[in-house]
Amino acid sequence: MISDQIMKTNVLELPMAEPGLELTRSNALHIIKNRCLSIHQVKETTNLADVIDGITSGDTVLLIDGFATALINGVRGWETRKVTSPEAEVVIRGPQEAFVETLRTNTSMLRRKIKNPNLKIETLKLGEVTNTDVAIAYIKGIVHDDIVAEVRRRLDAVKVDSILESGYVEEIIGDGPLSPFPLVNHSERPDKIAAMLLEGRVAIFTDGTPEVLTVPTLFLEFIHSPDDYYEKFYHGSLIRFVRLGALVMTLALPSLYVAVITFHQEMLPTPLMLSIAGQREMVPFPAFIETLIMEISFEALREAGVRLPRQVGQAVSIVGALIIGEAAVRAGIVAAATVIIVAVTGISSFMLTTSAGITIRMLRFPMMILSATMGLFGLSVGLVTILVHLATLRSFGVPYLSPVAPTTTGDLKDVLFRAPWWAMFTRPRLLGGMKDPQRQQFRLKPTPPETRE
Amino acid sequence: MLEGGKIDSKQAIFLLTTMVLATAILFVPAIIAHHAKQDAWISAILATLGGLVIARLQVTLGLRFPGMTLFQYLEVILGKVLGKAVGFLYLWWFFHMNAEVLREFGSFLVAAFMPDTPIIVFIIIIAIISAYAVRSGLEVFTRVNQIILPLILLSLLVLFALATKEMRIIRLLPLLDTGVVPIIKGAITPLSWFGEMATFLMIIPYLNKPQEAPRIANTAILISGTFFLITVLGVLAIFGPALSARWMFPTLNGARMIHLANFLERLEAVIMVIWVFGAFVKISVFYYAGVLGSAQVLGLKDFRPLVLLIGVIVVALSILLHPNILDLARMLGQVWPPYALSTFEVGLPLILLAISLIRGKGGQQQ
Amino acid sequence: MNELALALGAAVDRTPDGKFLLTLQFAKPGEFAAGAPEGGKGKVSAPVWVVSATGKTIFEAERNLAMQVSRHIYWGHLIVLIIGEKAARHGVREVVSLFLRSPQPRETMWVMVTEGEAKNLLMSQPGLEKSSAQAIGFLARSKAGYSVELKDFAAMLASKGGEPIASRLGSLKMVTTPSLGQKTPVEEVRITGVAAFKDDKLTGWLDPSETRGLLWLKGEVGKGVVTVPCPGKPEKQLSLEIIRATTKVIPEYRNNKVSFTVRLMLEGDLEEEQCDENLTKPETIKAIEKELRKDVKQKAELALSKAQGEFKADIFGFGEAFHRAHKREWRMLRDNWNEEFARAEVRISVKAYLRRTGLLTKPATLRE
Repeated sequence: MISDQIMKTNVLELPMAEPGLELTRSNALHIIKNRCLSIHQVKETTNLADVIDGITSGDTVLLIDGFATALINGVRGWETRKVTSPEAEVVIRGPQEAFVETLRTNTSMLRRKIKNPNLKIETLKLGEVTNTDVAIAYIKGIVHDDIVAEVRRRLDAVKVDSILESGYVEEIIGDGPLSPFPLVNHSERPDKIAAMLLEGRVAIFTDGTPEVLTVPTLFLEFIHSPDDYYEKFYHGSLIRFVRLGALVMTLALPSLYVAVITFHQEMLPTPLMLSIAGQREMVPFPAFIETLIMEISFEALREAGVRLPRQVGQAVSIVGALIIGEAAVRAGIVAAATVIIVAVTGISSFMLTTSAGITIRMLRFPMMILSATMGLFGLSVGLVTILVHLATLRSFGVPYLSPVAPTTTGDLKDVLFRAPWWAMFTRPRLLGGMKDPQRQQFRLKPTPPETRE
Repeated sequence: MLEGGKIDSKQAIFLLTTMVLATAILFVPAIIAHHAKQDAWISAILATLGGLVIARLQVTLGLRFPGMTLFQYLEVILGKVLGKAVGFLYLWWFFHMNAEVLREFGSFLVAAFMPDTPIIVFIIIIAIISAYAVRSGLEVFTRVNQIILPLILLSLLVLFALATKEMRIIRLLPLLDTGVVPIIKGAITPLSWFGEMATFLMIIPYLNKPQEAPRIANTAILISGTFFLITVLGVLAIFGPALSARWMFPTLNGARMIHLANFLERLEAVIMVIWVFGAFVKISVFYYAGVLGSAQVLGLKDFRPLVLLIGVIVVALSILLHPNILDLARMLGQVWPPYALSTFEVGLPLILLAISLIRGKGGQQQ
Repeated sequence: MNELALALGAAVDRTPDGKFLLTLQFAKPGEFAAGAPEGGKGKVSAPVWVVSATGKTIFEAERNLAMQVSRHIYWGHLIVLIIGEKAARHGVREVVSLFLRSPQPRETMWVMVTEGEAKNLLMSQPGLEKSSAQAIGFLARSKAGYSVELKDFAAMLASKGGEPIASRLGSLKMVTTPSLGQKTPVEEVRITGVAAFKDDKLTGWLDPSETRGLLWLKGEVGKGVVTVPCPGKPEKQLSLEIIRATTKVIPEYRNNKVSFTVRLMLEGDLEEEQCDENLTKPETIKAIEKELRKDVKQKAELALSKAQGEFKADIFGFGEAFHRAHKREWRMLRDNWNEEFARAEVRISVKAYLRRTGLLTKPATLRE
């Protein structure tokens, strides 16, 4: 953990430094600190606790005979992973770098994005046993001070043994402790975190993980991707609608299928109805059981695909497609229509890569139970309940469904539609806009020069 | 402080619009068509105009007592004892109205979609969700409504746009065939729906700009009136007056009429989703008014312990009120409008306003 | 869904002892699935199953029928309701009400009337479609005659200003052609005109050419073909396709007498001619247009005289038109409108235009 440099300094460089100077018992500390230690972070302390803290954090402590003062040399150094491209949040266009496990590397990556003295980074230690470094980052003047204070208050209250990943922090400081929905967002992308801070959010870095938390969190930011802001705004807007559609489909398509097949057969056009009825003739299960089995198998396949070594992962999809898609239909265990529905749901769920996606995938099972018992009524009831629940949530004081409900008209420019950058005049009102609403100049829309030679 | 939340004007407009529109589009067109035949749309316009007048009256009363709900200034106007007595009357009205809406909710689902399911199942389920919303406070179901109302309005527009193929404007002719009296008769039922704006008196103190209350009420009535008019016109143009009056839920049948390119058929499911969403909001508003009012009449500090109790009362009431759907239809068509309009929607507010003016209570405090 | 018996077609007849005979045609879903064996590959069973039962009410008949059906009867996908002649003459009000009252059946299903027993039509096996109900549904949609949806039929029943009509169905025995793999004789259903009702009782039939007249007077022609004799050569024919047709009914009320002026207009494209005429000449066009006018007028009058004379029933909905124009007088006349209608004078005027002659000006095969 200790870098070689410190030993070199003490052993080799000390005798060579400043030959004219005499080292005496009385000035030893002064000379060593100021002249000999060519280290940028040297702290003097008389406190034993600090000394212990320093040593456990990987610093070197220099004790000099005759002095009651210890020199803590900030020379932490250990093997770290290099900055690589993001694994989980892939973009086509945009920076291809992701955070790493080292806190300081991460904060410096952020600093490189926002070169402004107003970017404040406060550090603290969490975890009684692990003493993990945690940093809060925000942009002073954009962020709402109450939110920063609230983040600080909640972090200070954290008294746990260990913080091994940002998820620990998330679950302890997040709102809605029993809600299935994520009330704290996270990202491994420096550009995304920078954008979040610029909208007035607070980021929480945790040492030892590339995932950085951001608060407050709005539900609809889970259908956003950094790409939306880098590609043309038409594409960015359309793809958000597609993602919203995928969200609804993932949540409701299997239950809609179950409801229609079980209760509302009249809703299908007659030829389609006859065709589906024909497929289902041999199927021994009710539609609900059948769909449930298929959805669970799909989740199993997905999980297996994630956990298995990449070389074996291929095999999973082959087995899945072959066995479930083909053989089960041929054998008459599953209707072809069910396979289609499950597959479409699966594809939709692939579009939701954020943590809200996991929630939605999970919720489709209770939704299926509701529609299997009460048809479309059950489905609508499920949707209303989810809506009510979402409306009760607040993340660090900001309503989870804002800016849609409550509506802040100005902020709708960046929810489903992504306004072109020359029109993003104001910051989100409930986040940074409370303090300093104006983000950029008006009249940025490019126009050609009036005259041309 | 019973209710800590504040809602803005836009939210209030949305909330009141859903409150009026949610059940009006299904239950009322047949009732108007029964009276006014092909002139039912004129009744709808009349009712909207009448609604504006009633709302004006109610809001004027409400604005005389800033920061107070109906139940609080009842005691200011009428004194402690009489105020409480009238308070209990209003409580009954809110409970009764909510029970009727619950019953309408369940009746429609049973009649049109699931005849085998006991009606109590639907009523209890929606009551539980509403209880959850009401417990969470005014802000919560207001927010839910902000998502629900645009969906409802959009679906209605899409439904009628798709059904234009079945519509014949000629079915609206001749004008004024039945004379003026049936048109006015037809306007009374929808008018009592607009009169439900009285519930707004419970919400005015929680507006962040209470002085905008008249504008809020007018806008809400105009929006719901417009969509109600579209519904009535659409139904008449699809079925003609004779058949419109004979259906139980002509709007539903209108949606069933749609078939587009052999692919989209029987969009009644859309109606069902609209119905569940809209009725949920409507039930929550009345539920909330009942719960908040009870807490104020009883002088409680917190309304949440009452939610469950009142829920049970209202659900029980909704089951006991009517033996069958025809009785419910008769109630809505004949009994409810005079009963609600004469006392709670127009009569009492008018008397209260008069007394407060005479006794010099309330008024704009500077 | 596996527990449902999907009814595609329903037929209502009356038995001699005054009971209803309900016949339902059920789809066998297995035969409709993609990849199911098509006819001709040694298929044993038909894709549909037809069952009948009797009862004092239709609903009772349905209950009796349910005892023979292993699954729950599902009405949501009914395509046609066929009413037999006897049942139709007896009155159809309760039949229509039953199908509208229940939430399952669609209001958009077709209502048809047939001479003889309706049951037989459901038993027939069409050549192109898998079930006769579907075949009838497609026929109705193609607007071959005057197709009526259940809700339109109900609206006509409920209205005082017009009597209900419905498509008239007949069947045609086809010869068996074993070479095509047909083992049983194919019976094809076809639309053979219109059934006219008075109040809710069947009162008579219109044949296809009277039906054309009816469509003209109701303003429902839409598209169609008119065949008229060649000008100057009555033994040869020419056919036009109607591109646009309008009907305007102008009711009048003078001296306590009801009269109607009906203005018909059609625009057509020439499709086929046997006359070998040179169509570039304006006189020829004029002559053809004259023939058109004659033909349309004659057909309309044919239908009119049948309605006024034989049926004494306003199957054209003239009452509605009168109501719209003269609402005060209507109130006096509406209760015995059919007599008024039968007495009314109806003037028919036709305008016909030949707009285009296809891609040819003269017959291409003609030797000059």
